[in-house]
Amino acid sequence: MAQIDIVDVGHTYTAGAEQERWALKPMRLTLEAARTYALVGPSGCGKTTLLNILSGLVKPAQGRLLFDGSDVTALPTKARNIAQVFQFPVIYHSMTVYENLAFPLRCRRWDKARIEARVHQVAEALGLDHRLRQPARRLTADDKQLISLGRGLVRDDVAAVLMDEPLTVIDPQLKLSLRRRIREITEQFRPTVVYVTHDQYEAMSFAQEVLVMKDGRVIQQGTPEQLFEAPASTYVGYFIGSPAMNFLTVERVGGQVTLAGRPLAMAWDVPDAPQIQVGVRPEYVKIVGEPAANVFPTRVRGVRDHGPQRVLEVELAGQLIKVKTPREDGVPATGQILVELPRAKVLPYVDGHLATTPRAADPE
Amino acid sequence: MDGLRRHKSMFLLPGLLTLLLIIVFPLLFTIRVSFSGWNVSNPEMDFVGGANYVKVLQDSRFWAANLRLVLLAGGTVLIQYLIGFGLALLVWRNVRARRLWRVLFLVPMMTTPVVMAAVWQMIFHESLGPVNDMLAKLGIAPVHWFTEAGPALAALMTVEIWQWTPFMFLLMLAGLLSLPKEPFLAAAIDGAGAWRTFWKVTFPLMAPVSVSAIIIRLIEASKLSDTVYVLTSGGPGSATESPGYYLYLRGLKEQQTGYAGSLSLTYLVLMVITLTIVAALLARAFKVPRQSSKAKEQ
Repeated sequence: MAQIDIVDVGHTYTAGAEQERWALKPMRLTLEAARTYALVGPSGCGKTTLLNILSGLVKPAQGRLLFDGSDVTALPTKARNIAQVFQFPVIYHSMTVYENLAFPLRCRRWDKARIEARVHQVAEALGLDHRLRQPARRLTADDKQLISLGRGLVRDDVAAVLMDEPLTVIDPQLKLSLRRRIREITEQFRPTVVYVTHDQYEAMSFAQEVLVMKDGRVIQQGTPEQLFEAPASTYVGYFIGSPAMNFLTVERVGGQVTLAGRPLAMAWDVPDAPQIQVGVRPEYVKIVGEPAANVFPTRVRGVRDHGPQRVLEVELAGQLIKVKTPREDGVPATGQILVELPRAKVLPYVDGHLATTPRAADPE
Repeated sequence: MDGLRRHKSMFLLPGLLTLLLIIVFPLLFTIRVSFSGWNVSNPEMDFVGGANYVKVLQDSRFWAANLRLVLLAGGTVLIQYLIGFGLALLVWRNVRARRLWRVLFLVPMMTTPVVMAAVWQMIFHESLGPVNDMLAKLGIAPVHWFTEAGPALAALMTVEIWQWTPFMFLLMLAGLLSLPKEPFLAAAIDGAGAWRTFWKVTFPLMAPVSVSAIIIRLIEASKLSDTVYVLTSGGPGSATESPGYYLYLRGLKEQQTGYAGSLSLTYLVLMVITLTIVAALLARAFKVPRQSSKAKEQ
């Protein structure tokens, strides 16, 4: 496993395009060794381009890529010592499971006994140790995907394991268990993992650190907790979380921020700005019985089922927000309910970015 | 619904009728003819029982032609496959002017077999042809291309290979171009070299295409007759006769219609059985995955 340094790496597929239109804007990132990272974002956000640059499929238009401090920018895929799991399971279908897992080691001319020991170790972790003699092509798609991963893990010196939406073709009921398996296995072998997905839920539940991308930029990097609790921008707030974060436009009257004519206390105050928004997760909005500070009257507009939870759509001062409530609470009998926006969870946003404390007014 | 169905059959009818006329009728007619003594002196649809078939069983020239076909078709198709696959691998990836190469390799296939055979007859001409001329410069005695059995077979096979390798090339190139990229990338990541990548990735992935291409060419090659006709006329003696050419001799040249009918039916049954077995053996030899599992892997 290696530390990956991405130094001013940027890429464009059309030569001579101005930098604003590059598929990947020049960026500087460090991916620490033995951590799992998820690149998440909508189609066309540049996550696959970044992955292809890491794997060596795409040579960046500018910048340098370092694995453990040595420059690999010009090296082809083969020389980079990475492993990759593709969207579609790639196995050698003329070989058995054992031969598939042993293949990278045979290519590296390990001796027989060492291969045997290592393959058994990895197969056991993958849960495939009792199927080593079977032809790999007979396995189900999720087991084949495990073989792809296993071929990366058998090499104990692999610099990084890259996963390109590995759960795309897996049946929904198997997705959950396969993701858990992959997570357990990566925790055991601790390679540096870069996992690309457009599914925020997958990213949040898999990775130790999530990088949200948009238009060729990493717009926020953080732990799943940080992304959930403090999205750096309204975009991240919308993208991460289900349902998305609520954003409400508020007014400033005198020195006081107000919503629907009542004062609203936020987690911290912001300097005066033409337009201030507050963000609050649907999970934190509480239905209360008595008026109090930060409690607002709302009108129920709709109810949606979200598995164990219910999502109420309520109108607050002409703006729709969502409230996530446990199923057992039931649907409010009246159309009018009071909701509390807990002060610590009400975050101020200016120009679409999380506003920092009053002193530093720099967005981002 | 009934109206729609009637309309459908209306549109299907011309095609079905044509099919009936050109396949079913001749087949039935041939079966009937094969039980008759129809020949040039007795052009009648009489009934001679199985006499023609007994004669077929005793016709050593026919069976020799069939055995020869195994060598001719099997040998040429195998060599065509090797060369065709090799050429396809050469121009598959980034090669300079690969489009030009691809078209150039196809030229032999575009020419008429009869014309080709005539040209090759000149090339192999024993006293005037360039082949013997070149061999002489290398100090090799002139080869009797068309007057000795071995060289005549070699000449015939050369023409066949030259003419039909492009077809194999085309099928194999199409197969290569349709392969997914990921397995090759995975092999590169796993550290496989060119040799290993070919045997463990390219070749297994190409197995279904390989089997189809070989079968198609075997069917075509078993019909071999026009090249024989122009190049050697089956000679010397009957050393290069193919079943197709022998059928032509008996049926059309000697007008033994009844006997030729029984020959061709015997040949048809032989071909169906042989090619079915060959197809099954090829699929096993190439370890072609079954359709269901293949679809998921791709």
